[in-house]
Amino acid sequence: MALMLVFAAALPAAGALAVWGLRRRPYAHWVGAGAAGLAFAAIALLPVGRGSGAWLAADGKLTGGWWHQLSIAWAPSLHLEFSLAVDGISWTLALLTALLGVLCCIHNAVGAEQRAADLLGADRTASGPLQGAPGTVATGGPSPAAGGAVGAPAGSAASDPLGVPAGSVETGFPSPAAAQVHGVPAGAAGDGRESPEWRSPVLTALLLAVQAASTLVFLADNLVLFFIAFEAVLLPMWAIIHRYGDPAARRRAAAKFALFTVAGSLLMATGLFVAVADTGTADLGAIILLGGVGNDVSLLVFALLAIGFAVKAPLWPLHSWLPDAHTAAPTVGSVLLAGVLLKLGTYGLIRVAGGLAPDGAADAAPVLAVLAATGIVVAGLVCLRLPEIKRLIAYSSVGHMGFVVLAFAAGTEAGVRAALFGNLAHGLVTPLLFFLAGALKARTHTGSLGALGGLRLAAPALAGLLGFAALASLGLPGLAGFWGEAFTVYAAAERGGAWLALAAAAAFGAFLAAAYLLRMLRRVSHGPVAPAAIGIGDVSAAEAAVWAPLVAGTLLLGLVPGPLLTLLAEGIL
Amino acid sequence: MRVQAIDHAAMLPLYLASAAAVLALFAGRLAKAAAMAGLAAAAVAAVAVGLGPDRATFAVGDWHSYVADDAAMGAAALFAGLAVLVAALSGRQTGEYWFLLTASAAGGIALAGARDLITLLVAVETLTLPLYVLVARPGRDGAEAGTTFLIASVTSSATALMGAALLYAASGTVHLAGLGPGLGGAHPGLTAAGAALLLSGLAFKLAAAPLHAWAPLVLERAPLPVATYLASASKLGGAVAVTWVVFFGLSDVASAGLVIAVLSVASIAVGNLGALVQRRTVPLLAWSGVAHAGYALAPLAVIMTAAGREQAGPAASAAFAYAVFFVLLEAGAFAALTAVRPAAGSVLAEGTPADRAGGHGPGGRIAELAGLWKAAPLPAAVLLFSVVGLAGLPPALAGTFAKVAVLEVLASSAVWLAVVVAAGAVVGLAYYLPLARALLIGRAGPAPRRYAVAVALAGLAVAAVSLAPQVVLDFTELSR
Repeated sequence: MALMLVFAAALPAAGALAVWGLRRRPYAHWVGAGAAGLAFAAIALLPVGRGSGAWLAADGKLTGGWWHQLSIAWAPSLHLEFSLAVDGISWTLALLTALLGVLCCIHNAVGAEQRAADLLGADRTASGPLQGAPGTVATGGPSPAAGGAVGAPAGSAASDPLGVPAGSVETGFPSPAAAQVHGVPAGAAGDGRESPEWRSPVLTALLLAVQAASTLVFLADNLVLFFIAFEAVLLPMWAIIHRYGDPAARRRAAAKFALFTVAGSLLMATGLFVAVADTGTADLGAIILLGGVGNDVSLLVFALLAIGFAVKAPLWPLHSWLPDAHTAAPTVGSVLLAGVLLKLGTYGLIRVAGGLAPDGAADAAPVLAVLAATGIVVAGLVCLRLPEIKRLIAYSSVGHMGFVVLAFAAGTEAGVRAALFGNLAHGLVTPLLFFLAGALKARTHTGSLGALGGLRLAAPALAGLLGFAALASLGLPGLAGFWGEAFTVYAAAERGGAWLALAAAAAFGAFLAAAYLLRMLRRVSHGPVAPAAIGIGDVSAAEAAVWAPLVAGTLLLGLVPGPLLTLLAEGIL
Repeated sequence: MRVQAIDHAAMLPLYLASAAAVLALFAGRLAKAAAMAGLAAAAVAAVAVGLGPDRATFAVGDWHSYVADDAAMGAAALFAGLAVLVAALSGRQTGEYWFLLTASAAGGIALAGARDLITLLVAVETLTLPLYVLVARPGRDGAEAGTTFLIASVTSSATALMGAALLYAASGTVHLAGLGPGLGGAHPGLTAAGAALLLSGLAFKLAAAPLHAWAPLVLERAPLPVATYLASASKLGGAVAVTWVVFFGLSDVASAGLVIAVLSVASIAVGNLGALVQRRTVPLLAWSGVAHAGYALAPLAVIMTAAGREQAGPAASAAFAYAVFFVLLEAGAFAALTAVRPAAGSVLAEGTPADRAGGHGPGGRIAELAGLWKAAPLPAAVLLFSVVGLAGLPPALAGTFAKVAVLEVLASSAVWLAVVVAAGAVVGLAYYLPLARALLIGRAGPAPRRYAVAVALAGLAVAAVSLAPQVVLDFTELSR
């Protein structure tokens, strides 16, 4: 079973290489989806034959605790071991990562097939006049209208850096038409909507790379390996935003994302190495079990780690990279950012920072809690005024992560469980919202709340799903978002004293969340049908299939939270 | 007086490299083959000697002037290997070129084994002297580069010699092993002045601030193979010299740690700021190399504090390991760049008219690398991997391991310096990422495809240490 740990991380990595190698083949996307699916299966099998969760001392070494573990020497001089381990906490997050990876790959594959079909249709209409009047080719070429219609997407796809335009290969596109528009500036075709090149298999390869690195972060039992995996997420995600994002904002957003993340992860690395130097081992489980680092460096370690993870989580006031990155990223990029990358921050904060330096965490809890509560309220207020749907969802993440951090800072058992639960719930609900917002933007070519309206009439199923996701996000009882936030407020209030004020602030933030999400629904779904929404298609079967697991998970966590809470309680913290 | 026996086995790599140099001078048309074969033999001999028991020779009492331990032989093999790489990248050159290159590599091998100040300084000079000729391309720019390098080098040599003289005056010995005990009762001001002068002078080779200004200018204007050598083997020489002096000689001298800390922080700040504004490839790598010199020196600074002095061994090992990873990545980047830039012709003969007319060197602008991925996938891949490694990011793990090694030492003894290193690495990303991006994106221009084997081998070396860093970490582990 321990071998499944290796498969969980290695399959997406191998899939990324395979997809990249096969990027000119039409089936490359499905290879990627298959690799992600196998990784999901490998992770889903992990609970089989799991350990009891109790620690045992054998031969002077502590074993157990983890469900499975595996360790291979790599660079002992650097305290680096390729050691993986899994327990209830990391398993749920790894499973979520794999699930989102599969969904994103399928989303890409389906999108690419639709694109191929569209291009085939456009190709036929465009080549019609050519065949009818061959003389025009020599003089003026095809009619400008036809050339433009075909050429715009092909031109931008042809400027793809890594791959070859997927659509053109699949459809046997006439090469003169592509060459003709080769000079179209990149991004000319992508004004206001997602640029078509996001369907390139290279994007799938990058997604799989992010998935592999993130899975490795969740499963790492060695602090140096944890740091390396944490850093490995950066480049593929940077490339996703930089290359496949919204042409207007992607460069700046990608650079901001990279600089913030690296600054955070290097500070985190310093904190990790202080802990390694203090304890003499880099074994995460062993350090947690021994009660963390010594008292004299505990606060230092926690501060360094917390700053590093707070950038990733993100915690106010270190959140400013997030709205830009989310808004600029393609849909699948936003889904992974919200569902996986933010979880790296909270997972690190709860398990690594809290586990390595419990004393420091207790000392720093008030600061963390005040920042988190401020973040909740600030995010709520900002969201009330935001005019763009993706940016609004992105900013709402700051609020949700504020709840998670506040619950962790409260430090009680209820608090830590609320943090872990809220973390997972956010990982299901917000990706669903991003999928829906992406679908909406792809149909209407706008994300502006002012230009939307009447979705309820134009696309009832899409409006219904959006309403469902928004209600889950604002914490309606019975859906996944509720338990985490309710218990956060409870855990903060339980501490009494000044924590009551923070609990009140968090509750006010939840109220603000209801206000801004309902405002969004009113603008998008209700009212007369906006011009942009006229004639748009409703949810397709493929989309429904991609979103169904997220909807089901949201309902499941909302209605039956018990098993998950038990699982989280077994974790090593 | 007893005549002591010389351990010729310990000297074998040096003999082979020196023989190769002499052979190259007289071999005529076979000079290149002779130089490469001799250097390769020296590298193999160094590895063989290194795998055997530690050897030492030229003893005065317990102190040896020449030691062939794992670290020395590892560095020697690296010097020889890098020189072979540069030779493979050089194309057709006259006989003197091969002599000068091989002589410089022999200086590096001698430096690796040197354990007294005189041997060390002479070895550094042997490493540097041939480069005066090699950097000077024909034409005004080349002459300017050569003159700059000559003046900067002579100044720093004089500085280092003055420092060595002061340390000799304070301790009464030139053996590194004797400096520690000898400086125990010495005047602290004299020791501090000696350490400051010696280390600043040696840091010149590493292009650490404040003696860094020659590097961007000389590297930009030197022929690319020579720039490859300057950026890799020559820098390794500086790192080895500083690390040896600090670890074997001055590890009990707090002021030496302070000097290193100043050099390190200044290099990180100056190098990163300088690199931020570069639009040409070689100056960008050169300025960022200044910052990397700062990262490599940083672990040595922990001997400032008493707690840090107990960590001197791991700290010096981390500095050495960082330098090794760094020069491998630099060699990869420069080798790939050499392969894709138009040939500059013979280094010592007349340059092409384009070389003499332009005010810039052969490295070209970063924008000229656009689309290299499509035009020349192999060099582009090696260059990309090296640049990502210099930025310290996975999947180019060589750079990540280097950073981890440095941060692990700093985290335990000097957290503030770790934060400085982290801040520098963040700034580094701001110029490495656009360089990486330029390689991938854009319309490809014509790119020559040369030296495929050399570039592939450089890439393989970097990839190998990325997968098995313990190979490097084993021989960079220093012990007295």
